[in-house]
Amino acid sequence: MGYGRSDSYRVATTQDKDDRSPKKKKGAKDMDDLKKEVPITEHKMSIEEVCRKYQTDIVQGLTNAKAAEYLIRDGPNALTPPPTTPEWVKFCRQLFGGFSVLLWTGAILCFLAYAIQAATEDDPAGDNVSIVLTAVVVITGCFSYFQEAKSSKIMESFKNMVPQQALVIREGEKVQINAEEVVGGDLVEVKGGDRIPADIRVVSAHGCKVDNSSLTGESEPQSRSPDCTHDNPLETRNIAFFSTNCVEGTARGIVICTGDNTVMGRIATLTSGLETGKTPIAKEIEHFIHIITGVAVFLGLTFFILAIVLGYSWLEAVIFLIGIIVANVPEGLLATVTVCLTLTAKRMAKKNCLVKNLEAVETLGSTSTICSDKTGTLTQNRMTVAHMWFDNQIHEADTTEDQSGASFDKSSITWISLARVAALCNRAQFKAGQDQLPILKRDVAGDASESALLKCIELSCGSVRAMRDRNKKVAEIPFNSTNKYQLSVHETEDLNDNRYLLVMKGAPERVLECCSTILVQGKEQPLDEELKEAFQNAYMELGGLGERVLGFCHVLLPEDQYPKGFAFDTDDVNFQTKDLCFVGLMSMIDPPRAAVPDAVGKCRSAGIKVIMVTGDHPITAKAIAKGVGIISEGNETVEDIAARLNIPVSQVNPRDAKACVCHGTDLKDLSQDQMDDILRNHTEIVFARTSPQQKLIIVEGCQRLGAIVAVTGDGVNDSPALKKADIGVAMGISGSDVSKQAADMILLDDNFASIVTGVEEGRLIFDNLKKSIAYTLTSNIPEITPFLLFIIVNIPLPLGTITILCIDLGTDMVPAISLAYEAAESDIMKRQPRNPFRDKLVNERLISIAYGQIVIVCLNPHALGGFFAYFVILAENGFLPTTLVGIRLNWDDRSCNDLEDTYGQQWTYEQRKIVEFTCHTAFFVSIVVVQWADVIICKTRRNSVFQQGMRNKILIFGLFEETALAAFLSYCPGMDVALRMYPLKPSWWFCAFPYSFLIFVYDEVRKLLIRRNPGGWVERETYY
Amino acid sequence: MSKDGEKSGWKEYIWNPRTREFMGRTASSWGLILLFYVVFYIFLAGLFALTMYVMLQTLDDYKPTWQDRLATPGMVIRPKSDETYEIVYDTRNTETWDLYAQALDKFLTPYNNSLQTEKNKECTPDEYFLQEDTGDVKNNPKRSCQFNRTILEACSGINDRYYGYQIGQPCIIIKLNRVIGMLPGKDGQAPFVTCAAKKYKIGKDQWREDTDKIGEMVYFPPNGIFNLMYYPYYGKKAQVNYSQPLVAVKFLNITTNEDVNIECRINATNIPIGSERDKFAGRVSFKLRINTK
Repeated sequence: MGYGRSDSYRVATTQDKDDRSPKKKKGAKDMDDLKKEVPITEHKMSIEEVCRKYQTDIVQGLTNAKAAEYLIRDGPNALTPPPTTPEWVKFCRQLFGGFSVLLWTGAILCFLAYAIQAATEDDPAGDNVSIVLTAVVVITGCFSYFQEAKSSKIMESFKNMVPQQALVIREGEKVQINAEEVVGGDLVEVKGGDRIPADIRVVSAHGCKVDNSSLTGESEPQSRSPDCTHDNPLETRNIAFFSTNCVEGTARGIVICTGDNTVMGRIATLTSGLETGKTPIAKEIEHFIHIITGVAVFLGLTFFILAIVLGYSWLEAVIFLIGIIVANVPEGLLATVTVCLTLTAKRMAKKNCLVKNLEAVETLGSTSTICSDKTGTLTQNRMTVAHMWFDNQIHEADTTEDQSGASFDKSSITWISLARVAALCNRAQFKAGQDQLPILKRDVAGDASESALLKCIELSCGSVRAMRDRNKKVAEIPFNSTNKYQLSVHETEDLNDNRYLLVMKGAPERVLECCSTILVQGKEQPLDEELKEAFQNAYMELGGLGERVLGFCHVLLPEDQYPKGFAFDTDDVNFQTKDLCFVGLMSMIDPPRAAVPDAVGKCRSAGIKVIMVTGDHPITAKAIAKGVGIISEGNETVEDIAARLNIPVSQVNPRDAKACVCHGTDLKDLSQDQMDDILRNHTEIVFARTSPQQKLIIVEGCQRLGAIVAVTGDGVNDSPALKKADIGVAMGISGSDVSKQAADMILLDDNFASIVTGVEEGRLIFDNLKKSIAYTLTSNIPEITPFLLFIIVNIPLPLGTITILCIDLGTDMVPAISLAYEAAESDIMKRQPRNPFRDKLVNERLISIAYGQIVIVCLNPHALGGFFAYFVILAENGFLPTTLVGIRLNWDDRSCNDLEDTYGQQWTYEQRKIVEFTCHTAFFVSIVVVQWADVIICKTRRNSVFQQGMRNKILIFGLFEETALAAFLSYCPGMDVALRMYPLKPSWWFCAFPYSFLIFVYDEVRKLLIRRNPGGWVERETYY
Repeated sequence: MSKDGEKSGWKEYIWNPRTREFMGRTASSWGLILLFYVVFYIFLAGLFALTMYVMLQTLDDYKPTWQDRLATPGMVIRPKSDETYEIVYDTRNTETWDLYAQALDKFLTPYNNSLQTEKNKECTPDEYFLQEDTGDVKNNPKRSCQFNRTILEACSGINDRYYGYQIGQPCIIIKLNRVIGMLPGKDGQAPFVTCAAKKYKIGKDQWREDTDKIGEMVYFPPNGIFNLMYYPYYGKKAQVNYSQPLVAVKFLNITTNEDVNIECRINATNIPIGSERDKFAGRVSFKLRINTK
């Protein structure tokens, strides 16, 4: 409900729920206002009334004083950029979001504990932990902030385009001013190639045509004139809209709206007001943070209470609390995720997908439906001659971008005549200075079909300009909608032949009416019924392919009637326009891009539904859809079935048809259920003649069915749908600024195939993120166990807070990030898209594997490796495990400086603390050693490492880097003071080797079982 | 609405009567997963036990593998008050110093001459008492040298039951931490203890020492030496009755009613000076305050 139900492009695009949201009470009113019809009435007023309204003059324009006054009153003529969050808010969000709050709490508690200690003791131990924690939070915060800032900077580049200029008439003088300074009432002049500087009421026009495609989606240029032709301001001819383009001709008009009040401005404002949901990955991460925070707080408090009960002082209990929180939180994980996404975004940018919002990288990977615009995305956005009919035969022209397609017989005399007609009866010409460029890349001045013909002839017959020079034009009747043809008279090439050549092109049926003969194999034949029927068939066939067909004919005027120097009068036609000789038909289409059919096929095998949503006609849409495989071969629509069986459409069971072409006018009569029905039951859908709000309905319909929807589009009319989609993809070349603002991603080459690359990258990063998280979590869990044993069994602390941070933020980072470079295990494009409700980034299996181990027993290979190293060091220094249990109280007693070990030696506090910190270092090194195996394990989730290979160079680098870092932290002089890490004896490095080997073997066996029994118990319980 | 749904969802999660699932698993599923974990953990525990066993086999029973952290042996004093190294008492208040006397009594009991003569050997002074093993044949148990309480003379507590505390001439007993195989001193020069006023910080870059307050001191045994015959130490297992040598310091006329900071050091050519950070390696400092009014 609440959608515009008229054919006109109403600017109502939001759902009613926006009105209901209470937090936006103030905004709601504006929204309602925006949803109403465009309040432009000037098109119905006379020019004098408009002049009066704006106190301007039709000849002199505004006075400078008035203009300045209006500028102050209305503000500059520019779109207000969507509200941006101030930089410091963004920064704070990074600083206090996610796990940061937990860590801040830790740091503050730590600082308080230190302050109390400092107040009660003369010689407090250094407060490293609180400083390190603060540093960690600030550094990771800054890091994420800069990452985000970097990606938003890309957008800045789009904003700073060359400032628009406008030609205005003020105080009777033409002045070139910045478009921003244009005000209501200004008299402006536009000519072909200009961008309309504001919404203007046309007062006079000469052959003016505007391209409204960015506003309405219609690709055909529309003519403008001073007369009001329609009540709806969007349909009427006498208003030109802000930021649309004037294609040809000139016009003069009075500015009636500027900036945000323009029609374009209203859509832009509306779009920025649409609320979008969180991206799937953001939801996943939030979910993940909730779990971890919950577990951390729960465990922390449990042990805080336990510690108090066990008789520890509350100060010690607070220190335990901090330790457990720090151990629980994977500090480096969010940074890792950000880096992984950034890396993928960079990789995608190389493949022409520019990602505005980092999280969109993954969204694209989980996309299950793509609603693609036709023009420019699926097609080349360039009319091209596709077929020709001459010699009573249809010939196929080459439509590929690189001219690799089939060619046809160019030797026929009829073809030469046809080419000559097409070249001569054509006003299009190449713009100057493009001789080096390939013909297809050259810019052409002229309309789309004429350009297509020009390029086609230039390609097959050489220079058109030379041909035109040889056949000088004597007279011309341009195309108009009453004649529906275009005609010109030329001198012939043969200097001895003084006859004139008349060439004509136009709507085939009109052209045929003017003909009495037809050229077949170079010979003129009378146009009999048989040939007329052949013509009809060809015309129907080409029309049925969705192509625009033009007919061509010519005649050599008899010299006796039209001698050399005959004055041809084009206004009062004084020459023969009947009994011409029909030459042939040429049909044009905007052909699909070469890479698109392949890409659509890939999408299909990847389980992604591709829906075409276009403003174009159903026939053209269907032809292109068939051409690119959106409607696959052999699939029929209801209409096709009806035609084949020769029964009325109503008798066909819609279930029999897999494909469906839905007309916009039908769409607006559909109820929500019928809409769902179409989307659910047809696998191949084309929506034609759709309006912006219908695009929005389609997107919402897909989302209602649980799909994650990607929308591609380039026009302003697409922007609401782009914004509403889970991921909006705008076009970099043809896209309007508003659509780029609304989108999450920009295709720099406007090519649909790039989306597929994006999907592939997105899926890969999801898989690889899972690996990164599994890797990080498995090292995170053993960090808690030392605290638990410390409190419960009263042994010296095996792993300190600082060392935990060294693991999380030091050694684990590069290997975790390197997993983002991992190649796909299997063909990820042969898989169904992930189900956002079932396939989570962090599923309970991963959590239970990770945490299950501490809940049941405080054992896992990492922890065991670490503990083993810990026991080895203590035992080799004289403290055997038997002595250790229960030693904690004396061990941590600063005044006990003659603590006896198992051998009877006595230790001062500092001496045994050095041993303890050496143990921390060894525990840390052991985790690094086990992480070697872990990162190799995490490379794959199903395949064996031996199948996958070790081709990931970054990962190998990561292995060396983490080892080098561990060695540096252990051996660098000064570390004993800075981080309390001590050099290890070489033999201590090997303590964790058996455990490293063990988890490697264990996981290989697990994966083997998963591969051997797909869907078996092992997979169900342990596959993450 | 959603809240109710959540509630019943939770209930269903804990016990779903339809599928007979407890916390999302059926009994057999729980059984399997528990079995898996039990086997997994037994295996892990087995591996851990194995590696620990192997590691313990590599250890020597009589001497730890590494002793580099004990290069500078620690020093401690007796009596020791609870948490800090402060000896503060009032001569007029018996309770305040009686504690110290009792602690010393207790500490010195194993050094009673009767016990020492019964258990330990009388050794030749001023030379190391070496009892090396010959190859694989262990020379165990090893004998220890007598350290008779009487060596401490005035601080032995035999003649003066209160170790001089009640008359403001307290005894402090100093010992050097045991380190297996350590041979302090060189060329027959025995290590000895010296005590002096300690430099301490009273503000930024301001130091003070209490040299003038410390007065006269007497060391027992004379010169505060640890006789060489008590070294080397062969460990708790080989040398069961080892008596750690002691040095007593008696302050004869220390300034009363004021804090006096004292630091005692071991002097031996082959004991490196400990790190700045470790305040008890090769030295020990304490505060003495005797109140008389």
